[in-house]
Amino acid sequence: MTALLRAELLKLRTTRTFAAVVASAAALSLTLVVLGAALGKETKAHALFTNSAITYIIVILGAIAMTGEWRHRTITGSVLAAPNRVRLLAAKAISYSVAGIALSIIVTVPTIIVGELVLSGRGLATLGAGGIADVLWRNLAVAALLGPLGVCVGALVRNQIVTVVGLVIMAAAIEPAVFQAVPEVGRLLPLAGAPGGVLGGTHGDLSPAPALAVMVAWTLTIFAAAAWRLRSRDLV
Amino acid sequence: MKKFPPLGKPKRPGRAAVEIRDLSKRFGAVAAVNHLSFEIEPGRVTGFLGPNGAGKSTTLRALLGLVQPSSGSATFGGLRYDELDEPSARVGAVLEDASFHPGRSARNHLRVLAITGNHPPHRVEEVLSAVGLSDAADRRVKGYSMGMRQRLAIAAALLGDPQVLILDEPSNGLDPPGIIWLRGLMREQAADGRAVLISSHVLAEVAQSVDDVGVIADGELRAQGPLEQVLGGSDGPATTVRAQDPVRLTGALERRGHRVDRDGDVLNVFGATPEEVGEIAGHERLAVLGLAPRTRSLEEAFIALTGVQS
Repeated sequence: MTALLRAELLKLRTTRTFAAVVASAAALSLTLVVLGAALGKETKAHALFTNSAITYIIVILGAIAMTGEWRHRTITGSVLAAPNRVRLLAAKAISYSVAGIALSIIVTVPTIIVGELVLSGRGLATLGAGGIADVLWRNLAVAALLGPLGVCVGALVRNQIVTVVGLVIMAAAIEPAVFQAVPEVGRLLPLAGAPGGVLGGTHGDLSPAPALAVMVAWTLTIFAAAAWRLRSRDLV
Repeated sequence: MKKFPPLGKPKRPGRAAVEIRDLSKRFGAVAAVNHLSFEIEPGRVTGFLGPNGAGKSTTLRALLGLVQPSSGSATFGGLRYDELDEPSARVGAVLEDASFHPGRSARNHLRVLAITGNHPPHRVEEVLSAVGLSDAADRRVKGYSMGMRQRLAIAAALLGDPQVLILDEPSNGLDPPGIIWLRGLMREQAADGRAVLISSHVLAEVAQSVDDVGVIADGELRAQGPLEQVLGGSDGPATTVRAQDPVRLTGALERRGHRVDRDGDVLNVFGATPEEVGEIAGHERLAVLGLAPRTRSLEEAFIALTGVQS
């Protein structure tokens, strides 16, 4: 398992997509936070640093990584190298959990530092050490779970475009609509509902701990479904 | 690198390197492979022949654990591929549609495989050199020609220094020097005691490289054995003879129960060795101008066995 994990992390580090997404996400996030901190009239630091769509990029990255195995027809080689398909999926899921944490740190830490400086310069309330720690763990937890979720959805659907477009529609349209119509259901959904609870944003009807438990349950359930499907699938 | 038993000596003495037993695979209503059985021995290059859609790739994929057999088994020394310890150190495979992430380099691909298979890092450089890709190792694969990709696939198969090498249409995309190199590689591997299984529809290529052949059609094994035996078919011995009086010699041979195809003064005699034909001619006091054993070409054998024009 360690070797598989090392191999997956090496793939991730040496594929340009990840580096490009990290750089773009960091730049975009920094811009949004600086604008929000500099121009916002009633800027709340906690919301500024957690209500960022950038966190969700990792779910797309995970999905692209897994569906890429079919798109580039590399799944055969991967399974030949690691015939235990469940372990292969687990290694990829864990590597995207690690990637999610790395992405979140790379994006969140500079934005917090710069945002805090701007807020402080305007004489507005800043987070302080306790607030920063709170923002960090929420962002890291969501990213750590959304990465594997993307990998597992990708393993189930396989088609890259369908997976990515489907995830975006789900996160940006369907889940918010369900939340509006039936909040008790919407807050339990995996891409916007439960993560919103963890992040403590506008969707945060669930408190962080149960929201995190819901996210873990979604990730494990989709992992189990993806593992079962991957094991039984003929690679022709 | 982890040490394995000496090459050419199976892990379980007495077992073939590859054993396929009564293997069947159905895709819905289609029987891709139907009760197929054969064995591959160490130290031999075995050709696996058949027309398109015969079931060759499905058989190899079942052997490698990529498709689930409907029934039967396909094993390496009695173990399924997914039961092997460090499988890439036991079995190297080049599949027909070998693909790589276009954005990564050959060296990077091989490093990933080396880590996954617990192979030492220096093997990456060794196999890159062996397949002639050292100079292009850091280029992204999307810039590779088809032949270079095929060489990379072969490098990946050799990475674990495996005891069994499975090659599905390996010469696809290779230029003539590449094909010659591949033949040499297969012979070297077999000479070192490894078992080599090559699937191909390019019959001439196989004829020059293999010791044994297995012929498959409609998912069923039609013939298997040493190349010469399968080339000769199951019709028994055959002889080509050139006679001064072909009409009388034809009569003499047919009276003794041999089938004769006549083409001018050349006779193809079925069911008789050159010695027997010479003896009959001598007995009849007929002059023989030339006498040689007749082997069917692989093309002829292939068509006869599969009923398909190659």
